[in-house]
Amino acid sequence: MTHDRADILIIGAGASGAAVAWRLSDAGLRIVCLEQGRWHKPGEYSTSFPDWEFRGATSFSFNPNVRALPEDYPVDDTASDVTPLMFNAVGGSTVHWTAHAPRFHPSDFRVRSQDGVADDWPLSYVDLEAYYDLNDQWMGCSGTAGDPANPPRAPRPMPSLPLGPDGERLARGFDSLGWHWWPSDSYINSVPYRGREACNNCGPNGLGCTVQAKASTDVTYWPAAIANGVELRTGARVFEVTTDSSGRATGARYFDAAGTVQSQPARLVVLAANGIGTPRLLLLSTSERHPNGLANSSGLVGRNLMFHPCAAITGFFDDGSDPTWRGPLGNILLSQEFYETDSTRGFVRGYTFQMNRSTGPARTALGFAMAPVAWGERHHADFAMRFGNSTTVIALGEDLPEEHNRVELSASLTDSNGIAAPKVSYRLSKNSARMMAHACRQAEKVLNAAGAHTVKATPQLRPSGWHLMGTARMGDDPRRSVVDHSGRAHDVDNLYVVDGSVFVTGASVNPTPTLQAIALRAADHIRKAQHP
Amino acid sequence: MMTLSAVMDRLVPPIDDLPGAGTMGLAPEVESLARRHAPYQRALATFIEKLAPKWSADLPASQQDALLRDLEAADGAAFTAVLELVYLAYYGDPRVHRRVGWRGGALQPEGFPLAPFDPEILQTTRQRKPFWRQA
Repeated sequence: MTHDRADILIIGAGASGAAVAWRLSDAGLRIVCLEQGRWHKPGEYSTSFPDWEFRGATSFSFNPNVRALPEDYPVDDTASDVTPLMFNAVGGSTVHWTAHAPRFHPSDFRVRSQDGVADDWPLSYVDLEAYYDLNDQWMGCSGTAGDPANPPRAPRPMPSLPLGPDGERLARGFDSLGWHWWPSDSYINSVPYRGREACNNCGPNGLGCTVQAKASTDVTYWPAAIANGVELRTGARVFEVTTDSSGRATGARYFDAAGTVQSQPARLVVLAANGIGTPRLLLLSTSERHPNGLANSSGLVGRNLMFHPCAAITGFFDDGSDPTWRGPLGNILLSQEFYETDSTRGFVRGYTFQMNRSTGPARTALGFAMAPVAWGERHHADFAMRFGNSTTVIALGEDLPEEHNRVELSASLTDSNGIAAPKVSYRLSKNSARMMAHACRQAEKVLNAAGAHTVKATPQLRPSGWHLMGTARMGDDPRRSVVDHSGRAHDVDNLYVVDGSVFVTGASVNPTPTLQAIALRAADHIRKAQHP
Repeated sequence: MMTLSAVMDRLVPPIDDLPGAGTMGLAPEVESLARRHAPYQRALATFIEKLAPKWSADLPASQQDALLRDLEAADGAAFTAVLELVYLAYYGDPRVHRRVGWRGGALQPEGFPLAPFDPEILQTTRQRKPFWRQA
């Protein structure tokens, strides 16, 4: 079946697809969004059920290969040091994220100029600042002004989330070393905001938020976009962006939930399918004019995949404090003491420390930042040391773009519609390994300063591929990039990419506010192009 | 003859007034959880298939543990999956919740109380001059 032509076709209803849909929704355009996942009702989230820990390990896992729901596609990660994580639904991975909302620093856009590595972005912090502010309002940012590690910015609409006794203990540890720390900017409501409740500190904010205190785009941008007339079509798995004989995009073909092929023509196509889904789709969309995949004359579609190297360092306390499973799992505080390059450290670029809490008893036993709790005679002692008595410092580092880290199409693995699955090849660089080793040593110092009696480190956490970046990078030179500063493909003037694929470098912060700011900015460029 | 309960007692042994996980009667719960997630069900079948021929209730506990360690080394994926099942069943049980001090049940809508953020704690770090790098 062929549908009526849309002005704008957006593929993917997650963090960036929702932002671009809302931003364009009052422009008098017919906008259609295709999403392979479905709507989730907040009451369906794991934390509404007594067996929430089982659900979190299975049907609500971060890992699509574990979840294996009909709307998921498999990812071949056998050649990757990091397991890619994502969620396929209206809201995308914002349903599943912990909602950290730090921004890139101005220096993150000038890595080549400042440190002689990777590439500069074709835009700056100043170009994105107003869009960061706008996104903070729509997603709802809890935070505190005055962070000396970041430029001054507009006030957040809500105060910071509670630090809790465990957060205050770690903050004092940072203070005692003279190191920077600051309460995390978070897209979780500390007070009621825009019709959504305040966080009630249930804990595992990575498992969906029943009370909608955590922002996900299904409860922020999408209701407004739909009210303005955007059509969001779920259960729609796109397998090709179609093109005409001149190579311009003409729409997309997709399988509907019944497995029937449908066609959605459009004047302009926006890809927002994440840093793995977008290059997969571009590589699938071959034609006579685009024999190596759509918008791939540079050969860079799928290359330069970045995840953020991630170390987890856990301190164990026996000071009788309150249990460390009260309050959001993440989003407590961060430190950017080691954010920028210091040549004496033996690596370029840097990392952010983020504090994570412990969690419920079964998930504690399963382990995450560490191996599972020991079985046998040591079991109960090992469990008691961890449960409610541990605090983890996550080190999130900047991995530089390397062309051999990439997304390709699998020659053997397919999704349930028979479409080639993505194959991810990713190896941690020596620079990243040295960076994480440094981070482990510094984290041990701060945990000891906070009073930990024991510290254990996992220098590279494998299931940490939340941040999918770099696989359709932006730039001014069509030979060295896939899209321009606005997200428009160099090769196809009516095709935009607005997700983490366009990142030139990854900084050492969570990427979602930045990719949403990029999406909002891209929407303004599209609007101007549609109404010059 | 091997029973899942006997293996579970070796994985999670008795403590305080609680017997081991198997003697607590949690083997049916492990099997029930496995039926809800196909990879767990396959792992449990593999685990039993590989362990059962070597296992005997008459073996000393140390030799039973050695068999488990051998299987853990030979098929870590199946072993870890079964260990997860046992932990999910054991730490989902109200008797265990009472012992470890966990409320149990759904986390929502009750959540947990925490005092609001107190900006006073920023007193030291606020004294730091801005140090972000200009670009």
